[in-house]
Amino acid sequence: MFGLPGAGMQLRLDPLSLLFLVLLTPQMVAGALAGEARSLTYWLFALGMVLAVTAASAFTLIFGFELMSAASWLLVLRGDQKPATLYVGIAIFSAACLVPALFLPASSLAFVLVVLGAGAKAGLAPLHSWLPKAHPAPPAGVSALMSGGMIKVALSVIIREGFITLDPALQPWWGNVLMTAGVASVFIGALRAMLETEMKVLLACSTVEHAGLIAVGLGLALRAKAMGDASLTALGLEGALLCALAHALYKPLLFIGAGEVKHATGTASLDWLGGLMRSMPRLSGLMLLAASGMAALPLGPGFAPEFLLLHAALAAAGTGGIVARIGFSALLAVLGLSAALALGAAVKLIGVGFLGRPRSLQAAAAEEPGGLALAGMALLGVLMVPLALVPGEVLRLMAPVVRELAPNAALAPLGYAPLPLLGLGLMVAVGAGFGLHRFGVRGTRGAATWMGGFGKPPVWLPFGDPATQPTATGFAEPVARAIGRGVLPDDADPAELLVLAPLYRLHLKGVRLAEKLRRATIRERLAFIFAALVLFLLALGLLGGG
Amino acid sequence: MSLTFSLAHLMGGVILLAAFSLLSQRRLAAMITLYQVQALVLSAAAFWQGYAQGEVNLYLTGLITLIIKAIILPLSLREIVLRFNLMRAVETAMPVAVSMILGVALIGVAVLVVLPTTPGNVSLTREDLAIALSVVLLGLLMMTTRRGALAQIIGFLSTENGLVLAAIGMPGMPFVAEFSVALLVLLAFLVVGVFLFRIREHFDSLDLSGLEQIERRGR
Repeated sequence: MFGLPGAGMQLRLDPLSLLFLVLLTPQMVAGALAGEARSLTYWLFALGMVLAVTAASAFTLIFGFELMSAASWLLVLRGDQKPATLYVGIAIFSAACLVPALFLPASSLAFVLVVLGAGAKAGLAPLHSWLPKAHPAPPAGVSALMSGGMIKVALSVIIREGFITLDPALQPWWGNVLMTAGVASVFIGALRAMLETEMKVLLACSTVEHAGLIAVGLGLALRAKAMGDASLTALGLEGALLCALAHALYKPLLFIGAGEVKHATGTASLDWLGGLMRSMPRLSGLMLLAASGMAALPLGPGFAPEFLLLHAALAAAGTGGIVARIGFSALLAVLGLSAALALGAAVKLIGVGFLGRPRSLQAAAAEEPGGLALAGMALLGVLMVPLALVPGEVLRLMAPVVRELAPNAALAPLGYAPLPLLGLGLMVAVGAGFGLHRFGVRGTRGAATWMGGFGKPPVWLPFGDPATQPTATGFAEPVARAIGRGVLPDDADPAELLVLAPLYRLHLKGVRLAEKLRRATIRERLAFIFAALVLFLLALGLLGGG
Repeated sequence: MSLTFSLAHLMGGVILLAAFSLLSQRRLAAMITLYQVQALVLSAAAFWQGYAQGEVNLYLTGLITLIIKAIILPLSLREIVLRFNLMRAVETAMPVAVSMILGVALIGVAVLVVLPTTPGNVSLTREDLAIALSVVLLGLLMMTTRRGALAQIIGFLSTENGLVLAAIGMPGMPFVAEFSVALLVLLAFLVVGVFLFRIREHFDSLDLSGLEQIERRGR
């Protein structure tokens, strides 16, 4: 193939790249089935991702990464122009950080640059605010691959650089950097997902959260590896990789589902949906399965990774000095809060969007989507089953990856076995059902009226109206009152206020200065040159001049 | 030997003083006179250096300086002032006192740069070089603090005097360099003269602010 003259393009297929290929393939297929199969840009996007994860040389990696960025920019541009511009700015920033980082010798500077560059692309805080804008913009198949695939590719760059290439210069604080960025994204992503009412934006916010979870796992493992803690390294890595795998299955499914809902009803705003469970049962069933993964419910595909991550955080909180212990306890607290928020977001997604009664005519008239998109979603759904029921076996398959990243890692069997749990649960359910059937008292009993999820209708509307059901906004209101308004003033992401707005002001100032320079008179230009000359002379005189 | 030093220093000092008073001067006629004095002393310095170093080339330099800079240039500058009926007062971009303070600071910079960076050389050339650099910097400062075209030209010529002062102080500096510098100045003067005519034709004045305005409007 083509590449650098003389060197060509070098690819490799080690366990890590194999894992990421496995993780990318189903969602690429599903995205193609969801209507992108004939788009050349889509396949270029996919090719860029494959190149980036299998690259064996820095040039190949950059080439793949930038091909991915450029192609996805074109795809975002199909949706809207403004997010595409924001997105291309972030992509250029990440390239500006990554290109020097990959050619620097192994050092802390290189690692920081990699985290900045790949982290911006993966949506880690504080560079995440573009993600909820850019990911929902393109068509659903592309959103799916961006959310499920592209951030994984960026994280794979962090993994490969942090654990393998930069290993000789490994420092414990590298892990702290990743964990801090990760936990901030977990919190802000979960909170925004809880508060959003637009389905695709909600999903994109949840992607920020899961990218943060993966980064927390990686940070724990990196810190433990630098400090020589074999079992914690294995736990953190297993949690992060399993989380990446699970997220790569359920998030594309949710995105494609949201796209199909938008296609069928004309809107993806939860406030206008409802009752879709009845009109599109198969799609809703798949969405329910995936949402259980997003919420990390037990027996769902998302539980095992979160279990491992919390386990790793607990183990880390029990070691080290007082500062480390306090830090890890705080990390645990934030992870717990975010898990609750994520559960709330998933419940809102299913409860408001798919249960209840339709809030609009379009939602009432929705029809099950065509076979192809559903087949893609079903593929992802089927692949989720082993992850949900036998995560231990999946972890055993991933052991070579963990050994490649941390040769001394002590792999322990997973302390969570869903199959016996499922059996136990079934037994209890069957027993209880039997007992109820056998010993239960037949008869009826009067009780106060439950409104069936409806609010109290106004007097002029005695028979109930779908509009009196709680909306997504109403559902999120308690959370918005408790924490949302404090963290997100005026519904704006703090990263926008703290990172993007100052950058914008700086840019404006720079432009004004440049314009002033351009309009300078001859005398002023002379003065600039003269001042520069005097400055150089002064430096020469003060610094000894050799 | 000591007479060589002290006389060379004296002349350098007079040239620096002339440059400094150029900076403080507000009238065109006085500026031209000061420039003439500066060039005269420079030619004398060149003759003295030629005598001290035994270089015939330096006599030639002195002669060129005397004829072109001390006689022809001031005469033609006065001619320009007369012919264009220029405003005899020079407009400054900043208060004279401030530019004087800046000038003192620049002399400090020059000394700070030259003295530590050339420790191995004879003291004659070192201090001469410091004075020459000060003259160059003062000329540049004048170019940036004056608004009128003619005042800027005088600043440029003063800068060039500083360069020549540095050149004659250096033993073994080839004559070609000085000759070309002198030619360059003459050329620049011709070009600027032509420019002045053109500017005058268009704006009825030699104030460059008209040029700046048209530059603004053009964008």
